Amino acid sequence: MDFASNITISALFQQTLVGLSRTTILFIVASGLSLILGVLRIPNVAHGSLYMIGAFIMYSVNLFFGGGQAGFWMAVLLSPLAVALISLVVERGLFQYLYEREHLMLLLFTFSITLVFGDLVKMVWGSDYRCVDLPAAFQGFYTILGFPFPRYNFFLIITGPVVAFGLWFLTNMTRIGKIARAAAVDREMVGAVGINVSLVFAAVFVIGCFLAGLGGALVAPTQNIRQGMDHAIIIEAFLIVIMGGLGNIWGALLGALIFGLTDSIGILVWPQFAIVFPYVVVVIVLLFCPKGLLKSTW
Amino acid sequence: MSERSAWKALAPWLAVFVLLLLAPRFLPRFQIYLTGLILTTGLLAVSLNLVLGLGGMYQFHHAVFYGIGAYTVALVITKTALSPWIGFLLAPVVSALFSLAIGLICVRLSKLYFGMLQISLGSLVWAVVFRWYSFTGGDDGIHGIPVPDIISSTDGAYYFSLILTAICLIVMQRIVNSPFGRSFQAVRDNPVRSEAVGINVKRVQLTGMVISGAFAGIAGSMFVVIEGSVFPELMFWTLSLEIIIMCLLGGWFTFLGPMLGAAIIVLLRTVVGIYTEYWTLVLGIVLMLLILFLPQGVLGYFLEIFKRGGMKAVQERK
Amino acid sequence: MLLVENLQKSFDGFIAVSDARLEVEKGEVVAVIGPNGAGKTTLFNLITGQLRADSGRLLFKGENISGMPPYGICRKGISRSFQVVNIFARLTVFENVRVSVISHNKRTFNLFSRAESIAVSETEEILKSLGFSEKSDRISGSLSHGDQKVLEMAIALGNRPELLILDEPTAGMSPEETRDTLELMKLLSRERGITILFCEHDMELVFSISNRIMVMQHGRTIIQGKPDVVRNDTHVQEAYLGGADERF
Repeated sequence: MDFASNITISALFQQTLVGLSRTTILFIVASGLSLILGVLRIPNVAHGSLYMIGAFIMYSVNLFFGGGQAGFWMAVLLSPLAVALISLVVERGLFQYLYEREHLMLLLFTFSITLVFGDLVKMVWGSDYRCVDLPAAFQGFYTILGFPFPRYNFFLIITGPVVAFGLWFLTNMTRIGKIARAAAVDREMVGAVGINVSLVFAAVFVIGCFLAGLGGALVAPTQNIRQGMDHAIIIEAFLIVIMGGLGNIWGALLGALIFGLTDSIGILVWPQFAIVFPYVVVVIVLLFCPKGLLKSTW
Repeated sequence: MSERSAWKALAPWLAVFVLLLLAPRFLPRFQIYLTGLILTTGLLAVSLNLVLGLGGMYQFHHAVFYGIGAYTVALVITKTALSPWIGFLLAPVVSALFSLAIGLICVRLSKLYFGMLQISLGSLVWAVVFRWYSFTGGDDGIHGIPVPDIISSTDGAYYFSLILTAICLIVMQRIVNSPFGRSFQAVRDNPVRSEAVGINVKRVQLTGMVISGAFAGIAGSMFVVIEGSVFPELMFWTLSLEIIIMCLLGGWFTFLGPMLGAAIIVLLRTVVGIYTEYWTLVLGIVLMLLILFLPQGVLGYFLEIFKRGGMKAVQERK
Repeated sequence: MLLVENLQKSFDGFIAVSDARLEVEKGEVVAVIGPNGAGKTTLFNLITGQLRADSGRLLFKGENISGMPPYGICRKGISRSFQVVNIFARLTVFENVRVSVISHNKRTFNLFSRAESIAVSETEEILKSLGFSEKSDRISGSLSHGDQKVLEMAIALGNRPELLILDEPTAGMSPEETRDTLELMKLLSRERGITILFCEHDMELVFSISNRIMVMQHGRTIIQGKPDVVRNDTHVQEAYLGGADERF
């Protein structure tokens, strides 16, 4: 076994950057999940499906606009919106009647949505792999400190903090964010002062799902879009949220960072078991902080 | 219960057992195979229900113990010179040990946290199995596992699973109705009060997990006999949720409800699978309807009609 | 038998019990009284281990029990009922009591004998002594509030306690039920020799049964003494007249 033999400064640097761009995707998806968990108390397994749907819509919209710059930007804009719309229908149509159910039922209910969405995606897009080509502006490499680095990954790394700031602004500076945070702590109290909690919940749910769609859209050009990507991402997102602290946006960022970096650095250390490392880290973290690293809203 | 009424209660089950024993004489091979699969899956679901329904614990990743049982048998047969039967003996032991290890870590937490930590640990096991090509066969799994001749035919595998299932169900039924079973139920209903009457709640929960894990391991070993192969999907989290669905579908306040749920799901997959490739769509819709309209499960629903008075009062209290 | 010294407990900066002192002798019936929010329930939760004290000493029969888990304390011989009904709501009355008898008999981890034939006579005896025999097959969640309070006591008795702690045993009961409960407590004390520690708002009941009374206010013990002494103590009168409890 060529254990750890391929660790060089250059490889380490590159893998760190790769890990950071992976972190962005993970963070965007996990923060949406965390938001929904924190405020609505729904362990939303269907979040992964929405991510997958986001990626597939990205593919279709991009195709519709003939690819290139226009196709890419339209797709990145439209697919999260489309996912948000889907989630609005699901929330108003189904979830709003289920908020009082126990977690297990909610978990199973969202799982049933996952099953339905999985097959719907198969019906619409088929079982084949799909790929999205990057527009020319994103192809190629930047050279950073003498190391080549894919431009798109660079774009992702910038996007992460932007989304984080946006979320922070939304939850701390806007009225709906403040109400949502209050509702996360005590929903009866918020209802008692005459605020329509149901609508606030719908908004939070839609925003969370929007993030899933955004994550799916952004990840689309970097990997094959396929069936099963929902199952893979959701478990990672859950672990990140648990590791960071349920409902804590910064916890999601921290968790995503740990998850993304252990994954990408792990490939250097022991390629065969790279996917094992993040799980090991999660387990170690939870052994010492069973309720996550940062304060949970629960 | 008098001797006579005990026999009366037992008679239908004996009849079912005899019927199942005779099944290979009048059912075609595929249906025998399917029945064996139902028994295996059913045993798995009943074992989950020990902790989920009886103990009220959020055992979200039960499939891990199933997979470990299956892999234990497969690895003993393909990687060691030991008798295959040792593998079958080891399956519940290894699964129980993993249950103990995972349980020791998780049992400090309750409800959703317990479930999520269990999913993390289970996923870790899955990831290792998924990647350890030289030992577990990685994502390909291990195929064509040579089980002992006597149980390698369809009928042999069927009888093996039938008899094992029967024994396991009897033992589990016994446990459910033992002082431990009652205490476990009490812990589910009210952990705080249980502690106050001198029950070591965490230890009861841990014991429950280990027992349930051991039976899942036995179910896993039956799977190897029926299918002749193992693969990492056996311990993927989606299967775990499917087993929970089986319990819900059959009704988790009943002992054999999960068996019924497993039968419904296995049959649904097979029958719907003949007509369409979109069987999970059907499953998803069935599950949605179930949660919206029949949260007590099919069997539980009918039982509840009888007990409505008592249950209603309980729900109001909550 | 039970000795509580300088017990202290705070929640997030709020001091619920600041200095509780209490002494219970074997065979006594001791009441803890005090206005709402005085820390009586917190004190009981500290004694039986549901909560952990920040500081102070808890001795039962000379043995330090602070920091022990509730099940450990229960096995030492202290059992309790709860103020807010805290029963196994989905189980029958009989099973409710049987669970604690099983636990007392150390059969909790017995996997293979039939529960149906275990602890039957002991459970029946307890139910009978409380006049509960006919209701033994009812689902406990469907009982009336008063009956559930009695069941609370029945569950606690299943552990054959030496010290029985009752947190407002008659709260929410009708006058007849209250009278029955009073009789029951007398019976337990006199005929079974069980030491009883309880808290209660019904002063008539308190003074009619207690050997000694401890008065709490703002988390501290003001006085502990014979009923007459307590009745005439100026601090107690101030505490109650100044306090909000009109039932005194």
